[in-house]
Amino acid sequence: MSGAARRWAIWIGPLVLLVLWQGASSFGAIPARILPAPIAVLQAGLRLTLSGSLPHDIAVSSARALVGLVIGGSVGFALGLLTGVSRLAQALLDPSLQMIRNIPHLALLPLVIIWFGVEESARIFLVALGVFFPIYLNTYHGIRTVDPQLIEMGRVYGMSRWDLFGKIILPGALASIFVGLRFALGIMWLTLIVAETLAASSGIGHMAIQAREFVQTDVVMLSIVIYALLGKLADSATRLLEEHWLAWSPAYAKGG
Amino acid sequence: MHTPVTAAQGMAIGAFDLSKAFGSRKVLRGISLEIAAGDFVSIVGKSGCGKSTLLRLLIGLEPASSGRIEGVERSAARLVFQEPRLLPWANVARNVAVGLGADARTPEMARSVTAALRDVGLEARGGDWPAMLSGGQRQRVALARALVGHPRLLALDEPLGALDALTRIEMQRLLEGVWRTQGFTAVLVTHDVAEAIALSNRLLVIDHGIIALDLPIELPRPRRRGDPAFAALEGLVLDHLLSS
Ligand SMILES: Nc1ncnc2c1ncn2[C@@H]1O[C@H](COP(=O)(O)OP(=O)(O)OP(=O)(O)O)[C@@H](O)[C@H]1O
Ligand SMILES: [Mg+2]
Repeated sequence: MSGAARRWAIWIGPLVLLVLWQGASSFGAIPARILPAPIAVLQAGLRLTLSGSLPHDIAVSSARALVGLVIGGSVGFALGLLTGVSRLAQALLDPSLQMIRNIPHLALLPLVIIWFGVEESARIFLVALGVFFPIYLNTYHGIRTVDPQLIEMGRVYGMSRWDLFGKIILPGALASIFVGLRFALGIMWLTLIVAETLAASSGIGHMAIQAREFVQTDVVMLSIVIYALLGKLADSATRLLEEHWLAWSPAYAKGG
Repeated sequence: MHTPVTAAQGMAIGAFDLSKAFGSRKVLRGISLEIAAGDFVSIVGKSGCGKSTLLRLLIGLEPASSGRIEGVERSAARLVFQEPRLLPWANVARNVAVGLGADARTPEMARSVTAALRDVGLEARGGDWPAMLSGGQRQRVALARALVGHPRLLALDEPLGALDALTRIEMQRLLEGVWRTQGFTAVLVTHDVAEAIALSNRLLVIDHGIIALDLPIELPRPRRRGDPAFAALEGLVLDHLLSS
């Protein structure tokens, strides 16, 4: 099958499912209270878009996700680099971090609410904490597993410490760092859903909780769809970055 | 000789009473060796006898336990490893540029890179990723990386060990060619006695941590493996290696 044909073919399954679902709803086989029809979800989306509340909620949720990712991600990346290149930092930091890692970050939710209140900072803190570990671990691991023969080559060829880092260690760790980023993105959305559902006055999660109170299944469904789309979007963006930055690797090259 | 070797280009080096021990294991026991500028010396010996160690000491990659080394200017010495050790995330040209100690930022540097790639017959592949090359081509890129900075001493640690017989002979010709035109001092560690005889002016056998045989090879170039004189030398060295 050609590449173009395959790209279209993957849509056949979901499309058939959607048509069946819509059909079942239209003929009353599935009550709208249990599962709204796709068209109803679409209409809810349109309605909330026109009223401006949906774009606002999406913007709020995305901003939270992004801010949390940037904070937790950059701290994780920086500490991963540090423990990766310095034995001292590794001895000082890594054992404690590995210990904390075993606490599921969502278990901290009540504590976080006590610390920060039901504030923006609480949700961002949770997201940052969630994305921290996969990025930290994979950055550290990536740096530690850079081919020592390449590092020796760099030394023989007179590379400065800075060049050694920029031309060998960092690029060598990049594939692993991307693995960490992918894990982090999954955790990021998951954390956000929990945090917004339990404690928020805006955002997609809040929209879903409000809709639940009024039994607006279509809006609840819409929020699920939006989360899925946002997750997919983040994943695709990462894939594009990988294709660009890891183009040298046969495992990541476009079409590979 | 067809092409004049510019002896001023090569580095004259010497090792005096060089020893190296790893813990209690003595690998080299007092090696003394002088290599003339522009010479081509091969080092053969049984696996684990300390050939790589000697090479690493000579170019200053590792400190000796005792003894001294003279004449080695590290910035003008280059090492070719058994594996290509190319950076997979840098294209061929940028890998070669590593040998210049910098990115090929100036047009001059870019010209040097192109020239080095031309020397190894890969001028058209500068933009490719190492993953797109064959094993022999990768080793040629590694050679270009070593040559691009115009080293005065080129140390090679079984650079052709992983290649098939045919590619190997091709690479030997290539190596002989660049050595003859550039006139650097070459020190080649190899398992292959025929390779050592085909390429070098002088062959050293290392055994039990010392130089057990120091043999001048005065066959006219280009050398042919089938020649009786070639075969006789090869037999002599092999006998020496097997009897020890
Ligand atoms: N870093 C090291 N630490 C401890 N022992 C070492 C180290 N490097 C080499 N040796 C030992 O020194 C001896 C010589 O090693 P070397 O690599 O020089 O051998 P070689 O002649 O190059 O062998 P080969 O032909 O298999 O490459 C071996 O016994 C090896 O185990
Ligand atoms: Mg060796």
